[in-house]
Amino acid sequence: MEDDERRVVDLVKELVHRLLFNPQTPVSSSIPTQEEYNQALKYSLRILSSRMKPSIAADEFSVVESIKRRLATTGKSSEALTFADLYSKFSLRNGPGSVKNKWAVLYLLNRISEDQKLKKNRFSDKISSGFLDSVLSGGLPALHDSDALSDRPGSLGRSNLIKEENEVSEEALVRDVLYACQGIDGAYLKFDEKADEYVLPDFIKVPRATRTMVRKLCELGWLFRKVKGYVTDSMDRFPAEDIGTVGQAFCAALQDELSVYYKLLVVLEGQSMNPIPLVSENACSGNYLSLRRLSVWFAEPMVKMGLMAVLVDSCKVLKGYRLLDAMLPSFISQSLAQRILRTGKSINFLRVCCEDRVWADAAKEAAAAAGTTTRRGDLGYGETDALESLVAEAAKRIDKHLLDVMYTRYKFKEHCLAIKRYLLLGQGDFVQYLMDIVGPELSEPANTISSFKLAGLLESAIASSNAQYDDRDMLDRLRVKMMPHNTGDRGWDVFSLDYDARVPLNTVFTESVMSRYLRIFNFLWKLRRIEHALIGVWKGMKPNRVTSQFFSKLPRAVTLQLILTSRKCQVLWDEMNHFVTNLQYYIMFEVLEVSWSNFSKEMEVAKDLDDLLGAHEKYLHSIIEKSLLGERSENLNKTLFTLFDLILRFRSHADRLYEGINELQSRATESSRPYRDKAKLQKQPSNRSSESSSWLGEGRKELTRRAGEFLRNMGQAVDATSQEYSSLFEGFISQLPIQQHVDLKFLMFRLDFTEFYSQLKSTAGGKILL
Amino acid sequence: MDPEAARTSRESLDLVFHMSNILETGLDRHTLSILIALCEMGLNPESLAAILKELHRESQVPFSSK
Repeated sequence: MEDDERRVVDLVKELVHRLLFNPQTPVSSSIPTQEEYNQALKYSLRILSSRMKPSIAADEFSVVESIKRRLATTGKSSEALTFADLYSKFSLRNGPGSVKNKWAVLYLLNRISEDQKLKKNRFSDKISSGFLDSVLSGGLPALHDSDALSDRPGSLGRSNLIKEENEVSEEALVRDVLYACQGIDGAYLKFDEKADEYVLPDFIKVPRATRTMVRKLCELGWLFRKVKGYVTDSMDRFPAEDIGTVGQAFCAALQDELSVYYKLLVVLEGQSMNPIPLVSENACSGNYLSLRRLSVWFAEPMVKMGLMAVLVDSCKVLKGYRLLDAMLPSFISQSLAQRILRTGKSINFLRVCCEDRVWADAAKEAAAAAGTTTRRGDLGYGETDALESLVAEAAKRIDKHLLDVMYTRYKFKEHCLAIKRYLLLGQGDFVQYLMDIVGPELSEPANTISSFKLAGLLESAIASSNAQYDDRDMLDRLRVKMMPHNTGDRGWDVFSLDYDARVPLNTVFTESVMSRYLRIFNFLWKLRRIEHALIGVWKGMKPNRVTSQFFSKLPRAVTLQLILTSRKCQVLWDEMNHFVTNLQYYIMFEVLEVSWSNFSKEMEVAKDLDDLLGAHEKYLHSIIEKSLLGERSENLNKTLFTLFDLILRFRSHADRLYEGINELQSRATESSRPYRDKAKLQKQPSNRSSESSSWLGEGRKELTRRAGEFLRNMGQAVDATSQEYSSLFEGFISQLPIQQHVDLKFLMFRLDFTEFYSQLKSTAGGKILL
Repeated sequence: MDPEAARTSRESLDLVFHMSNILETGLDRHTLSILIALCEMGLNPESLAAILKELHRESQVPFSSK
């Protein structure tokens, strides 16, 4: 150590001596004194003892690059080449005797060279004279002097002292940002999946401004990830999934843009390690790239990448085709472009969904008819009319062909009709049979029902109705579908029919369309079930009137009570039946048939697939809206379903009543015979059936008491139901006029034909007023 | 110092001198060799450059004040 220091001092002495007394030194006009020498030496040693550090990391290569570039930019390219040559030789010198710290030497040379040049510039300024120059030289050197070396070591030292462990140098941040912009995690900057951005961890101490800047710069990385992700995704999917030519072209264009971006990043990365080519003597502020410079460099790619990301985002959700207005050549009008697009869509549909090859002939015919052929060149520049007529011809033929294919080959109309018949319950006898046959099954809990059995029942319903004469292909598409069920659901809640549309008809009958059909089906099925239930009650009621002479045998009190209860029941039934029948009628004739007839008319005049889809959509929409299944009539629909539930409850009450009466009747006829098993009957636990069966066993008096009790109970239940029903029904009726559909007025009209309900309402209102 | 090493070191100096000339540092061979030696001792090139600049400036002061 001691030796080394001595040697250094000696060397420095020598150096100072040489510098001061060297005749080559251009400006020393007088021989310096010994005192000056001592001063210079002391000064030099002080500089050396200061903790001045090179402002860049020791990277030999980057120094060389910087030198070469400087030479090249100052118009000394041949020198640059020579230098490169010399350096390559120099760098090969290894082993004993060679210079080990090559970087230091090169750095030193570079530094000195820069200093020299600066000085020379200054001198040339001075010498080139002129008043202005002298002013400048008076000003400029002062500027340089003011921030010259003497105060630099101090400031650098201080900044070094301030640096703490967790502090990150700007170079490191620049490098990390460059990594992040290529979608790679850096040493500090990592991509946080949760936050969906590049994050500089909190424990890293950087000024807030720097942090903000890093975040801003990393936005580019985020955008890049998005674009890159989309491109890789599409490429990965490519062989498996058919990506259209437009999609492929889009990916290719993105890829091109990305490679330009990569180039920029590579250049930036190369630059980042180099010191800034010096403009002023003390611009040793750091590497070429600071975060600030980076933000300038990134301004343009940021805009581009942002645009690409927007495109990618909108393309993700985009499927199919669309017109880009901006890309439309000015000689093609908007309507023409629309027509071209639609024809293209039709062709695509024919080609992909229908596997049809005839369309090409149609296109050729169109070209012939338009007086041009599809050969290139015949459609010259400016012949917009020819193009227009060609497109018009082609569109006409293709659309016609498409509709032909739809109607004849794929029997679109027939399928629509089949759906109307079976899903919309248009085929009455089939529905009746089906209801009869699956009814008992559907009363079971949903989880015990097998859909295979139901499918079998569906088959037999078809076989026993006129539906059997339908096209087998269509009947085969009819399926039983069990909806997902919860505990406590009955078969009625989950049963539905489904129609398998298949390619290419599923273009029209998409999944969402089918789910809407399903909703309609469920509603109609429920309505039918209610109707069916009411008819079932009527079946029970009817015989009682026929066998009314039986009542005369009963005690008078019981007979009166029986007639009273039975009448109550009949009045309520009538009210319900009136409602259900009219609703049913309304749905059938005002909704389904009207919508169907409109749809059929529109199908006739439909010119292309879009028209057809539109017509079907309108058909479905009108059914849903008018059947109170739309969003606007949600409340009404809820009330309706409560009414349905109430009717079902009524049915069970009525069933019980008539069961009881029948029991009574049969016991009464039996009572003339001696009871063989009277004792046995009495022992039975007193559930409902045994209750009624034991009526007669306990003599006439007892019978009267029990029958009275039963009828009273039943009467109360019916009363309660009736009250609930009328209040609910009133609510329903009062909500009807609020609905905006004109057709609902017909329903209102039918229900309130005799103005019974409106009068009831007004009297009730009057009562409240009084 | 064996002759091989001496040759290498001389050649190295030559190369550095060439480069120095290209860069127009205005340094002679001897000064250059001192500087290389100092670099090899691990001295900071930045400080060395500073010394050179300062001393040059010192010697310029009388010139510019004249």
